[in-house]
Amino acid sequence: MMLDEPYRWAEAVSNRRDYVEDQLQDGSPVVGLAYRDGILLLTLGQGQQKIFEIYNRVSMAGLGHPTDLEKLRQAAVDMASSIGFNYSEADVTLQQIVHFGLGPAVKTSFDEVLRSPYIVQILLAELDGMDGENTFYTVDYDGAFYKSENWATVGGISEAGPLMNQQLVDLEPGKLTLRKALDAALTAWAAGRWVGQLEDIPNEISELEKAAEGVDLKGILKLELETLEVEAVVLERSRPGKEKYRVLSQEEINPALKAYRG
Amino acid sequence: MNESGDFLDMLKAGGYRFPGANLPDRASGAGHTFHPTEGTTILAFRYRDGVLIAGDRRATAGNMVLYDQADKVIDIDAYSVMAISGSPAMAYEIARILEHSFQYHRRRQLQEMSLEAKLRRLSLLIRDNLPMAIQGIGAVIPIFSTYDRRDNLGKIFFYDALGAQFESTDFSTTGSGSPAIRGAMYYQNQWGGRRFSEMDREEGLGITLRLLHTAAEYDSATGRYERTADIFPTIKTITADGLQDISTDELRAAMGRYIESGEDV
Repeated sequence: MMLDEPYRWAEAVSNRRDYVEDQLQDGSPVVGLAYRDGILLLTLGQGQQKIFEIYNRVSMAGLGHPTDLEKLRQAAVDMASSIGFNYSEADVTLQQIVHFGLGPAVKTSFDEVLRSPYIVQILLAELDGMDGENTFYTVDYDGAFYKSENWATVGGISEAGPLMNQQLVDLEPGKLTLRKALDAALTAWAAGRWVGQLEDIPNEISELEKAAEGVDLKGILKLELETLEVEAVVLERSRPGKEKYRVLSQEEINPALKAYRG
Repeated sequence: MNESGDFLDMLKAGGYRFPGANLPDRASGAGHTFHPTEGTTILAFRYRDGVLIAGDRRATAGNMVLYDQADKVIDIDAYSVMAISGSPAMAYEIARILEHSFQYHRRRQLQEMSLEAKLRRLSLLIRDNLPMAIQGIGAVIPIFSTYDRRDNLGKIFFYDALGAQFESTDFSTTGSGSPAIRGAMYYQNQWGGRRFSEMDREEGLGITLRLLHTAAEYDSATGRYERTADIFPTIKTITADGLQDISTDELRAAMGRYIESGEDV
């Protein structure tokens, strides 16, 4: 392959996109949203950990190739720990980690067409940042990142995003209890799952939204919960000490699953 | 990439130099006599529910009192503290590295560092600090206390300046005030009627306040409770539920009971 020719390079990148998106389409979506007492991150999986502690107030989740996810997770922990030690805990922000760490690393790997790209989509959450806000970032497989407040989703393919977001857009984080947040996150997950498993995805977003109208999200959850487990983590403001990351126990998650079981 | 998950290795790769290991050769200490600087009193003992650790608040330079609100009992994680006598600069640096090392390991390797490994990390840091210790400017001789959740037992470890680690079965004390109370602690434990290990939290607190008061009586570098300044020693407990600070209000009440009115402990 003559990659020094611009056309070939563009073609190679385009092939890469198709290849990576194909790999990511089946991934289990991840939902993050702020609620009254902090931030909730949720996904469904087969028991392998997908949501991780990065620093005292920072958590990361993702989908894609487990080893790629692992490499980026370690890079994020390294960077956060190093900033936390050399500067201070307050200086560890998602902006630092994403703009100067994960974003460039993923983009470099994607652009170098002779190396394998990171097959991942990442979602990061930061509780009570420098200005007191709850910040989310998503990082796509090509290094593109998006910042948002109050909630964020990754769904494997880009079309899943709008439908998942629909389930979250009307929520008021300041009033949301953990239980209500779990309900919303599960529904958003199901919406993403539905798109990911479509045989043919309509090109127009309006067509996709139309197709989604009659979909039984409850039925999807019912079916998926027969084989998958819910993994949920909170960054909990009231947690004593500096470390706010806490894995929710099955007893805490189960009430939200009652509607979908038995 | 840092496969070992060692925090200090990662820091060093980023250009960090541990101050203690970085002195020029001509300052190797030849001809110096080793005098650990340790103006303080630290004590720890195993009581019924775990470990109780205490330290006074005075920081000195020679015979000058620098500061009367120093914290010499430093939280390392939810179940461990390091109590320091000696040079605060190096002690705080070591405590900071240690705290970050344990967190980093847990986050990166996705498992808690074992107690043996935690103790080993501290030993290595103290040994790295040897050049500072030999010069007499930066010796750090800590007591490390923790609750071993595997054995369900509070544990106390102390170190020499080269990093050798020893486990205390009953109690340990260090710092310039320690000679004044080591005998009293031994006596209390053997013939005082109650062994430390039989005491509950309240008894332990009373004995601790009296021991620190005794140390301050005979050692000018150990701070004493002054009612006018309202500054209390740092006292913490570590039990199966984790690390807990004894609050100022509780200390104020206990001080009245056990020191000022001299109630029986």
